[in-house]
Amino acid sequence: MGRVSHSWARPAGGPARPRAVPPHVGIVTTPADLWMPTTDELNEWMRAVAVAADRSAFAALFRHFAPRLKGFLVRAGCDDAQAEELVQETMVQLWRRAASFDPARAGLATWLYTIARNLRIDRHRRDAGLDAASEPLDELGADAPGADPDHAPEARLLAAERENHVRAALAALPPEQAQVLRLSFYEEQAHAAIAHELGLPLGTVKSRIRLAVTQLRRLLDGMRP
Amino acid sequence: MIHHHPDDDLLLAHAAGRLAPGPALVLGVHLDGCATCRARLAPLLALGGALVEASEPLALAPDAWARTLERIDAPAVPAPVAVPAALRPALPDGMAWPARLDAARASRWHWMGPGMRFARLTLPAQPDAKLFLLRIGPGRSLPVHSHAGLELTQVLCGSFDDGRATFAPGDFDATDDSVRHQPVVRPGGECVCLAYVASRLRFEGRIAATIGGWVGM
Repeated sequence: MGRVSHSWARPAGGPARPRAVPPHVGIVTTPADLWMPTTDELNEWMRAVAVAADRSAFAALFRHFAPRLKGFLVRAGCDDAQAEELVQETMVQLWRRAASFDPARAGLATWLYTIARNLRIDRHRRDAGLDAASEPLDELGADAPGADPDHAPEARLLAAERENHVRAALAALPPEQAQVLRLSFYEEQAHAAIAHELGLPLGTVKSRIRLAVTQLRRLLDGMRP
Repeated sequence: MIHHHPDDDLLLAHAAGRLAPGPALVLGVHLDGCATCRARLAPLLALGGALVEASEPLALAPDAWARTLERIDAPAVPAPVAVPAALRPALPDGMAWPARLDAARASRWHWMGPGMRFARLTLPAQPDAKLFLLRIGPGRSLPVHSHAGLELTQVLCGSFDDGRATFAPGDFDATDDSVRHQPVVRPGGECVCLAYVASRLRFEGRIAATIGGWVGM
């Protein structure tokens, strides 16, 4: 896997100012809560990229997301070269579309995930060097609750909470159901993989998926303020 | 009001990027017009986001950052021009061309039978995808057929009954080899649908089979 550990001091107070260090140096694997950027920091860096074309903010976003995107894509079946290509192209899209990222509609990880997933579906367009066509935000619920600009702070809280809630709901699901959902993201032939892992006939896999999603939705409903 | 939506199985596959460009397009057209399904999709996309956040970081190639910077500094390739309206098959009055279909090349309308026309849609991202616009007059029906695989239908205008339910503008239908049906267009106007077929349709009857082979469905 080749992880490099690197320690650097974090400024004690104030918002984190990202340093202009090339991100491939120091892919940090220290305990999560010591080093993970907060949602506010991520959103600030996005704003800096959008408003000021701030490259050190872009570097900080790259440092955080690029290795995780790669880890996810490889786990989801991409080979190393494909994953590298998708990660670079996703980060390029982040740079180009930063102004259209709205923290009130979705968390940044979800926004990036959606871009990567669109790029992956649209392989042919990428191979031809064409710019990504689909607009991820359309799928992220333009008229979802919380999109009202008059309630922007609560809306941002809701979007960030939704990601936390999804994480918590995934952890709270019965293990078999969580596995069904994960396999759907990680496996090319998800139905076959689920049938194999759970020892189910292929014909019942669809209903298991629907059950798992229904339970996820129930848990999320229960988490709403 | 939209009554028929993709089920969670299909939505999850779509969220996970497991649908090929052809079926993803049909779902995309449905989502464009259905706020309910966009809201249903959102937590499934957030699942993807949560999995990315929780992923073990993998080291990137040493030149990944430099190559990314090269790309952002390179001039962006201009987005392809939307299909000019004159080149699209003519639609019934009052029906808007779904913007998402600009990703596909559309043939002209081909005759398929009395009051029945189809246009072939070709997606650069999946050129062999069997993607069609069907345009069928009131009271007309497609010959009885079954499917060896998945068929997805998104109603763009008009409506049809197929013995299971009525499908109206905005409605989505997914059928597979367990379904053998004969959609009949309701009175009041032409019905235009976007359809994706995973494999050949099995038309019943000799004449129907001839038409089926000729239209390549």
